[in-house]
Amino acid sequence: MESLLAEATAFGNEDANASLEAKAQKALECPCIQNLRSGPCGSQFSAAFLCFLKSTAEEKGSDCVQPFVALQSCIQTNPNAFPKEVLENDEAETQEKPSEDYKIIPPRWAVEPTTSPKTKL
Amino acid sequence: MSPVVLIRGVAGCWSPVGSRRSPQLPNSPLPNLVSSFVDTFVDFSVTGIFLPNPPSPPFSKTSYPSHDRLIAVGDLHGDLLKSKQALRLAGLIDSQDRWSGGSSTLVQVGDVLDRGGQELKILYFLEKLKRQAVKVGGNVITMNGNHEIMNIDRNFFCVHPSGLDEFQNWAGWFSTGNNMKQLCDGLQKPKDLYDGIPSTFPGIKQQYMNGFRARIAALRPQGPIATRFLSKNLTVLVVGESVFVHGGILPEHVDYGLERINEDVRDWITGSRETVSSDLVRTRNSLLWLRKFSNETAEDCDCSLLEHALSTIPGARRMIMGHTIQRGGINGACNNRAIRIDVGMSQGCINGLPEVLEISEDSGLRILTSNPSDHQNRHDLLIPEQHGPREVEVQA
Repeated sequence: MESLLAEATAFGNEDANASLEAKAQKALECPCIQNLRSGPCGSQFSAAFLCFLKSTAEEKGSDCVQPFVALQSCIQTNPNAFPKEVLENDEAETQEKPSEDYKIIPPRWAVEPTTSPKTKL
Repeated sequence: MSPVVLIRGVAGCWSPVGSRRSPQLPNSPLPNLVSSFVDTFVDFSVTGIFLPNPPSPPFSKTSYPSHDRLIAVGDLHGDLLKSKQALRLAGLIDSQDRWSGGSSTLVQVGDVLDRGGQELKILYFLEKLKRQAVKVGGNVITMNGNHEIMNIDRNFFCVHPSGLDEFQNWAGWFSTGNNMKQLCDGLQKPKDLYDGIPSTFPGIKQQYMNGFRARIAALRPQGPIATRFLSKNLTVLVVGESVFVHGGILPEHVDYGLERINEDVRDWITGSRETVSSDLVRTRNSLLWLRKFSNETAEDCDCSLLEHALSTIPGARRMIMGHTIQRGGINGACNNRAIRIDVGMSQGCINGLPEVLEISEDSGLRILTSNPSDHQNRHDLLIPEQHGPREVEVQA
């Protein structure tokens, strides 16, 4: 991960002493995540992502519980914080109707009670 | 899991400090980090778990040489608490829920799904242990039960209401994660989670519709949960002299080929194969449904058939199975050539007291039990005075 981060922020002979913090901050400036950094949960995203980038824990990100929880709360309060992009292509894809054979076997408790009387066979 | 990226004219991130211009890299690592971050965030939101750094250990093999110490655990059915109790009983996890089993092998014989509300948490937990164990020479092998196949088949007959809740919660976070990935230039647009799934099912109560859709999306072949977890399960396993299977193995299954069975099922789950034979995983005499050797009344077991099956597997001396609840706890039949380890420990089953089977070079076969009372109906008893797990020797 460390080396990936290094690549992301520099190419060629990067100053080896540049701190992880500096590299992480630089990564935040990347245009590709500006959409994620804007909107109602943008700052929570930035804090969580920054923490993740810097995390050197065995389980990467496990030392970021606080900013993760903050991001969670923000998303729960703003369900549309990261909206689904509807592209033109999507519509064509979703036209396909699932076949009528597509069935499930439900548990008894999920079945709508029938109003008609049972008929004996 | 990170997709290969398409770079779309973004140069800014990769110019070094100074006057040199950097060439545009064909694979941008930053979007991969975003993808990684989103996956980690979603995993945490759904289960509270951070998985140890990848990679996930390689696919388990069909057979292994015999091992110093092996612990076999039966059906878990969505009860995380009991699952942890069982593992703690065997010394495989510590008080922080971290792998403490050293180089031991853990085999879970299937039926994590259904009847409880912590199915995903158990799947993640076992994956976490897999990764932790492999670093210290241990091994965690998970297997398919009939309930795994049922769910992949959209047979939700034994789902618990809380199970729908857990999956619906997962779907919400997973979809948010997909939206976040979509918003990052340079990441491949994830496929719609519900692609191909009807928006409604006739005859189902409206309030549960989203829950079922979520469960289908997660567990169908190529679904995210099926791919990440279920595709790693073995269907049959041999470790030394012991054969492990959820229901039972017949000679015709061995004829088909044990490795071939594992590959067929895996390939079906990952979508490389359209179907998997019902004789293997769905019918009454299939590997995952057979009860001929796990009848609670030991005398009713078809011992000669068992012997025949074992004789066709080189070196096999016993078959270890889950699937049929043993109300008296773990026990053996057919001269302990059939060991039945499903104790129905889930709250959704009979809330049985956790027990596990230990197979070790030093002590042979032992039942590690949390049941403090004497067992008059089990074989050779050797219950030392102690708190915690009591050891019961099984007469060889």
